[in-house]
Amino acid sequence: MTKKKTGLLATLWQYRVAYAYIAPFYILFATFTLFPMVAGFALSFFRWDGLGAMHFIKFENYVNLLNDPLFWKALKNTLFMGLIAHIPILLGGLVLAYLLNSKLVKGQNIFKTIYFMPMVTSSVAISIIFSNMFGYNYGLINWFLGLFGEEPINWLAGDGSLIPVAVIILFAWKWIGWNMVIYLAGMQGISNDIYEAAEIDGANHTQIIFRILIPLLKPIILFTMIQSTIGMFNLFTEPFMLTGSNLNGGTNNGGLTLMMYLLGKAPQGGTAYGYASAVAYVITMMIILVSILLNRVMSDTDPEERRLLKEQKKMRKERRKA
Amino acid sequence: MKTLLIILVLFAAFLILISAFTKRGKKIALYIVLITIAIIMLTPFYMMFVMSTLKTNEIYSFPPVLTFGTNLLENLKNMSEKIDLLRAFGNSLFVTGSYVVLVLFFCSIGGYAFSVYDFPGKKQLFTILLGTMMVPATAGMIPWFIMMSRFGWVNSYKALIIPGCANAFGIFWMRQYCQNNVPKALMEAARIDGCSEWTIFFRVIAPILKPAYASLGIMQFVNQWNEFTQALLILKKEKLYTLPLILRSLVTDRGTDQGALMVASTCAVLPLLICFLCASKFFMDGLTAGAVKE
Amino acid sequence: MKKRILTATLALAMTASLLSGSMMTVSANEELEGTIEVGGWPSGDDAFEAALEGFNEKYPNIEVELVFTDTTAHHQSLQTSLAAGSGAPDVAMVEGAYIAQYRNSTALADLNQFGVDKYKDDFGAFKWDQAVSDDGTRMVALPWDLGPTLYYYRTDIFEECGLPTDPAEVTELMSTWDGVLKVAEAVSIPGERWFLPSAAYPYQWMFINRDYYDEKLNLKLERDGDLECLDACLKIRENGWDMNVDMWSAEAYAAYAQGTCVSVAAGSWFSGFLKTDIDPDGAGHWGATALPAGMPSTNWGGSFLVIPEQSENKELAWAFIEYMLCTAEAQNAMFAAVDYFPAYEPAWEVAPELYTDGDPYFGGQAPNSIATEIAASVPTVFNTIMDVTAEGYLYSSFNAGAEAGETPEQIRDRLGNDIEAACAELKAQQIQTLKDAGVWEE
Repeated sequence: MTKKKTGLLATLWQYRVAYAYIAPFYILFATFTLFPMVAGFALSFFRWDGLGAMHFIKFENYVNLLNDPLFWKALKNTLFMGLIAHIPILLGGLVLAYLLNSKLVKGQNIFKTIYFMPMVTSSVAISIIFSNMFGYNYGLINWFLGLFGEEPINWLAGDGSLIPVAVIILFAWKWIGWNMVIYLAGMQGISNDIYEAAEIDGANHTQIIFRILIPLLKPIILFTMIQSTIGMFNLFTEPFMLTGSNLNGGTNNGGLTLMMYLLGKAPQGGTAYGYASAVAYVITMMIILVSILLNRVMSDTDPEERRLLKEQKKMRKERRKA
Repeated sequence: MKTLLIILVLFAAFLILISAFTKRGKKIALYIVLITIAIIMLTPFYMMFVMSTLKTNEIYSFPPVLTFGTNLLENLKNMSEKIDLLRAFGNSLFVTGSYVVLVLFFCSIGGYAFSVYDFPGKKQLFTILLGTMMVPATAGMIPWFIMMSRFGWVNSYKALIIPGCANAFGIFWMRQYCQNNVPKALMEAARIDGCSEWTIFFRVIAPILKPAYASLGIMQFVNQWNEFTQALLILKKEKLYTLPLILRSLVTDRGTDQGALMVASTCAVLPLLICFLCASKFFMDGLTAGAVKE
Repeated sequence: MKKRILTATLALAMTASLLSGSMMTVSANEELEGTIEVGGWPSGDDAFEAALEGFNEKYPNIEVELVFTDTTAHHQSLQTSLAAGSGAPDVAMVEGAYIAQYRNSTALADLNQFGVDKYKDDFGAFKWDQAVSDDGTRMVALPWDLGPTLYYYRTDIFEECGLPTDPAEVTELMSTWDGVLKVAEAVSIPGERWFLPSAAYPYQWMFINRDYYDEKLNLKLERDGDLECLDACLKIRENGWDMNVDMWSAEAYAAYAQGTCVSVAAGSWFSGFLKTDIDPDGAGHWGATALPAGMPSTNWGGSFLVIPEQSENKELAWAFIEYMLCTAEAQNAMFAAVDYFPAYEPAWEVAPELYTDGDPYFGGQAPNSIATEIAASVPTVFNTIMDVTAEGYLYSSFNAGAEAGETPEQIRDRLGNDIEAACAELKAQQIQTLKDAGVWEE
C-alpha cells in the first residue's frame, strides 16, 4: 500500500509541472460542475424551498414534471424554435456564402461585416429593439406589412402562437451572418477546380450547392448544427426579454422555453429547488440524447464523401504549410 | 399574406430574368439580393439609432417615425438620471477583462501541457477533458446557485469569473494550436540554456501563441461581454450590474422611457460594434475559429 | 431604476424648515445610527422621499439609501437574495400578490420581536392577516397601502364623444354590461383609439382581490356574473375596441397619455402613476370612479414592508418601517405624494381633507373619497402562493380563448385548466407549508 502511494506521489512529483498546468481545469470542473451535478441529482428527489426542512419525496418531482402540461409546452416551444430556426439560418447562411463566394462580387468584406454585426451585439439590446419592431399598434414590421395591405399581426401577444415565430425571426437575423462566415471559410477551402469541373459538366447552381458544396461542407454544417441544437436547450434571453421578462413566456406561454421554465421554478421565480433540479436533469438527458443522435448522423458519412473530405483536408494542410 | 407573396415571387422572377442573359445582369441581380439583405440586417441598428433621438410619443406613433429626431440630449439626460451607464460599462469591462485574462492564462498552460509534455494518464485525462465538453452544465444549475450563495458569491463577480476560467474548449483549442506551432526544438534549446519550465513558457512559448490568444480572447470576450443569464442570477445590486443587466433594468413593467432605453442600448452596443467595424476580419476569425478549424 | 442618497437634499430641506421656524419639537433619537438600504419599485421611492424629512428629524443618524427597480425584477431579485442569504436590502417592499409566498418565510425577520402587535387595531384585518404566518406565530410584513380598485377614464374623450364625465353619472351609465359596451363603442375608433388596453381586463377585475383559492385550495373561478362579463369582453375584442396589449406595456402607457387608450382600471395607487409617470401633463383630463357593471369592491395590490433576516441593521430597519407605516404624518405625506392609500387607518382621520377634497389633477373630482368608501367594504380573502401565477393566466388564457373563438364557458374552463396545470407544483408546496404549520386537514 505505502509503496504504491509513494509511487503515485513520486510520479506526481516527477511530472509536477505538467500536472500543475492542467490541474486548474480539473479542480474547477470538479468543484463547479461535477459536484453540483451530483448534488442536483440527489436534490431532485426532495421537496425543498431552499430554507426550511427537506422532504424526501422519491420520484414525485419527476412524475409531477411529466404531468405538467406547461413542461410539455416549454419542450414543444424549445424544440420548435430550435429546429425551425435552423432552416433559415442554415439555408440562408449557405446561400449567402455561396453568393458572396462568387467572383462577380466586389466588396465581399463589407457584406460579410454587415451580416456579422448582430453577433457582437448583446442579446438583451437586440431583444429590446426587436420588441419595439414587433409592436402591435406601432411596430415597424406591422407598418411594413401594412404597406402591402396586410392586417397588423399581434406578434408578441395575441394567442401567443406567434411569439416563437418572432423569436425565430430574431434568431435568423442574429445567426445567419455567423453561419455564413463559417460556410464561406469552408467554401474557400474547396479548390476552384471542383467548381470549374462541375461547370464544365454543365451543372447549375442548385446542383453545385446540393451535390458538391453541402457534402463537402457536411462536417462544418453538422458542427454548427450540434452547437446550435445544444444552445437551443439553453434558450432563454431572447424569449425572456420579448415576453416582458416575467418567466411565463407571455400569452398562453407561447414563448416559454425549458430554461425559462426551470428558472421560474427556482431560483429566479420560485423556491421549488428540488423540482427545478428534476427539470434540470430532464433537460440534461435530452441534450445528451440529441447529441448522441446527431453524432450518429455525423458518422453516417458515406465512403465517397469521406474520401473527398480527406482530400479536402489534405489540401488545406498543404496550403497551410505553403 | 397574398399580396406580399405575389410581390416576393415577382421580385424573384425579375432577378432570375435579368441574371439569365448577360453577365452584367447576373452581377446586378447578385448585388440587389446582397444589398437587400444588408438593409434588413442594418434596419434594427438604424431603428435603434433613430429611436434614441425620438420622444417616447414619437416612438409610439403610427406610421413609425423613420428619420432622426431632436430629442437625443433629452433622452441622454433622462437616461443618466435613471442609471449609471458608465459604471455598468466599467463593471462589464472588469468582469470580462479579468475573465478573459484568466481564461487565456489557464487554457494556454493547460493546452500547452497536453501538447508538449508526456506524463502518465495524459491520454485518459485528455479524453475526460473532451468528454466534459459534452456535459451540459444545466444539470447542476440549482446546486451551483446554492453553492454560490453559501460561498457568499452572490453579488460578487467571482461567481461569473472563476468557475469557467479554465474551460475545456479553451484548453482543447490551445492544444491544437500548440501542436501545430510550437517547435519542440525551441524548448530543448531553452532547456539547455538552463531556463526553468516556467520561464520557457513565458519567455519562449507565450509569444508564439499570440495569434491563438487573440482568437480565443476575442471569442471569450464577446461571449462574456454579452452574457446575461448567469449575471441575472448572481448580480442583485444595481451597483454591480453589467451592461446587459442595466439595459434590462430600464425595461420595467410600469411603463418604460423608450427614448432613454434606446439611448442606453445604443451606448451599450456601440463600443463593441465600433471595435468590430475597425477590425472585422480579426473578430470574425476569432468568433468562428472554433467552428472553422474543427 | 432610481437611486439616490438623500442626505444632501434632506439637510437642505431641514435647514429650510428651521429657518421658517416651523420645525416641530420632536424627540430625536440619536442613538440609532448607520445606513440602511431600502429596496422596492417606483413610485415607492418618491413616497419615501416625501416622508424622509420627518424620519430624519426623528432619527438624524440613520442614512437611507433607496435602491429601486421594477416590480417583477425586484421580486425575482429579493427571492434569490433571500435564498442566497445575502444581497437583500435592509427593508424591502413586497407586493400584495407575492405576500403569500413570503409570510411563512424564515428568511424574513419576525416583526413580533419589535412589538408589532400594538398596531394591530390600526390596520384593516384583511390586510393584516395576509402578513401573518399560517400557524399564526410569526408576522413578517407590515401593510403599507391599500389598492381600492378604481376605473380611470379620459374625461376629455368622453366629453368629445358626448358621454357624461361626472363619476356618478359614468357609474350610472356603465352600471350594466350593455352600458359598458355602449361606452366602448362610442369612444373607440378601431385602429386609432381604443376603449381598453386589453379586453381581458374586465374579467381580471372580478378576481383582482386575489381570492383564487379557498382554504381547501380549491380553485374557485365561478362567481356571480362572470359569464356575462366574459361575454362582454369577447364583444370588445371582436369589435376591435381594445388595443390588445398589456396594460403595463410601454405601448399602453403612451396610449393613455395620448388619449388613444381611453380607460383602464387599477388600484387607487394608479393615480400616482398617472401624475408622475404616465401622464404628468394630463391634469384635468382624467376621471375616476368605481368599477363598472356593478362589480363588488375589490382591493388591487398595495404593498408591504419586510426586513430580511440577513439584515445587519434590523433595529434601524424597524425604526424606518415603524415611522413610515405607523405614523399618520408619514403615511399621509406619502399618500399626498404618490397616492399610496394608507393601510394605517388612524391616518384617515388626522387629515380628512386628503381623503375628501377635490383633486385638481382629476379636474376637481375626489377619487380618494370613492376609494375610501371602497376600502371600507373590501372582504377578507385567503391568499396562496399560487396567486401570482394564477393572475398571469387571467390575461393570457382569455387572449388564447378569444383567439380560438371560444365561448365564455370554454374560456373559463381553459383558464381553470391552465391555472391548475401551472400551479400543480406550487400547490403541493403550499400544502406542505400548511402541513408544516399544522393547519392542513386532509
